[in-house]
Amino acid sequence: MPLDTHVVLAQGFVEQLWLPADYWDLSIPVYLFLAVVAGGGYVTGASACLLRHLRESGPCCLESELARWGFMVAVAGAAGAGLAVLSHLAVIYRALLFPIYLTNFSSWITIGTWILVVLSVIAVICLVLQLFGEGPAQEEGTSLFPRAIVAKVGLLETVDRLVDRFRPPMVAFAAIHVLGSLLAVATIYTGFELAIVETVPLWNMPVVVPLAYLFSGLAAGVGLTVALTAFFEREVGPVVGGYAVATGVLSGLGLVTVWYGWTVLVASDAPAAAASQVALAETTLAIGAWLVVLGLAVALVVGVVVGGAALTGRRPPVLERLAVPALVGSFGLLVVGSLALRVLMLLAAQQDPVVVLG
Amino acid sequence: MGEQWMFYFDPNRCIGCHACSVACKQRHDRDADADDWRTVTHLSRGEYPDFEEVPISMSCMHCHDAPCEQVCPPDAIVKRDEDGIVTVDRDRCIGCHYCAWACPFGAPTYDDEGLMSKCNLCLGVGPGGGHGQPERQTSEEGGPAPACVSDCVGDAIKAGPQSEVMAEASREAAERFEQGAYGKRVLVEPLEEDADLADSIREGDQPAGAITYEG
Repeated sequence: MPLDTHVVLAQGFVEQLWLPADYWDLSIPVYLFLAVVAGGGYVTGASACLLRHLRESGPCCLESELARWGFMVAVAGAAGAGLAVLSHLAVIYRALLFPIYLTNFSSWITIGTWILVVLSVIAVICLVLQLFGEGPAQEEGTSLFPRAIVAKVGLLETVDRLVDRFRPPMVAFAAIHVLGSLLAVATIYTGFELAIVETVPLWNMPVVVPLAYLFSGLAAGVGLTVALTAFFEREVGPVVGGYAVATGVLSGLGLVTVWYGWTVLVASDAPAAAASQVALAETTLAIGAWLVVLGLAVALVVGVVVGGAALTGRRPPVLERLAVPALVGSFGLLVVGSLALRVLMLLAAQQDPVVVLG
Repeated sequence: MGEQWMFYFDPNRCIGCHACSVACKQRHDRDADADDWRTVTHLSRGEYPDFEEVPISMSCMHCHDAPCEQVCPPDAIVKRDEDGIVTVDRDRCIGCHYCAWACPFGAPTYDDEGLMSKCNLCLGVGPGGGHGQPERQTSEEGGPAPACVSDCVGDAIKAGPQSEVMAEASREAAERFEQGAYGKRVLVEPLEEDADLADSIREGDQPAGAITYEG
């Protein structure tokens, strides 16, 4: 959004030529958000699978529910991110033919496209393996609702049989999870897409912005998975508690990174940095800025307190009763705050003006 | 590799008539309401009676480092080896607008199709017209002068190989360019009324006046 009303003049020796800076619409922050949420969902799903294997948990355990909800968040996030970015492009078919057209591997858009596409494929494979086959057929839980849909079209037995037939061995499954988890962390590219833009001081922080995007996005992805599991299972056991703590810690890291980025912005003497700072602190965007802080801070407190109590099994009755609504509410707010961070980064973006020297 | 072409601009000779942007549109057969490849912005400061205005004519500067090219995912933007002119292959552009953020001069424009187009130094005609063209010829070699250059009534805009443009610039402008002014992307004459102050800035003195915000 251009902030034409904020004219910065260093009197006496320069003139500043402000340029319009409204090249991206809101589909871009949605894309940048959902891509990392997909990563968070995937990490949750993969780690829950590992936990289930290590603990030798039986069917219908919360690890299975977490794994399925996690992979569903990953698939939905990746699909949403893909649709959001495609909706912004002028020539969609060229983007769909990305192996042919996106050839500049020094561009983060090209790198990111490959990361998101491969992560999507892996997440779909993992979700299908968690939903269909002999094992899942014996389980119960809300997260198995896609089985009911496939059963309605009369293909459940066929799909179960096919999945069992092509189910990879444990070693291959582990390799898929390792690759998927690396790609989930690689969704940090969403931050680099902005951070390398040297004309925008609000973005041009090559460490802060990627880390802020990674921490807040992963927190939203893990938190959303925890919230879905807690909401549908009405249960917050030690495993869910552990993930809630992880969400809280990631939110805290995100909060610290965002705060550090703000101090860097305030300390900058670049005119466009000042314009972005004014926009974030003194315009209606300030409401969004406080929403980001609130979302991350509340998730930190609730995640650590409620999750920690569930993890250690020391829950007073009040916490027992409030655990589910507290986690669902706070992590829902986290998702909104994390998205708001991306929206603000776009709306408050201001390009450095051209300085006409005397 | 041929010599890098570049633009030269003298704000002291520009009268702000917009002939350059109109000539650009005519040469490239672009609609009157299409975004300008060459813009003229009137910068002003102060209030009457202490009011100053300076017109600034800008377009793609065909930067030596071409930030737009570096971020373009489909390699639709090309920094040509033979003359340094930055061209666009619209048959590869996906319309992601990443180049617009990277450009320090706001040069990329987007038409109704959503594809990027910008100045091609009159290497070709129309959006994408410069892509794949042979090496740019100077007027002496029989090449056309860019429309903005040939129609500028005050000779405020020049374009050509870097050594030729540098030879026509003032000593101050050339020195400033060598010192890295404007990222060494365009050669601009100092505004005459502020020349003394600019000298003091170059010598490392603190700029006079405080940074203020108005909004």
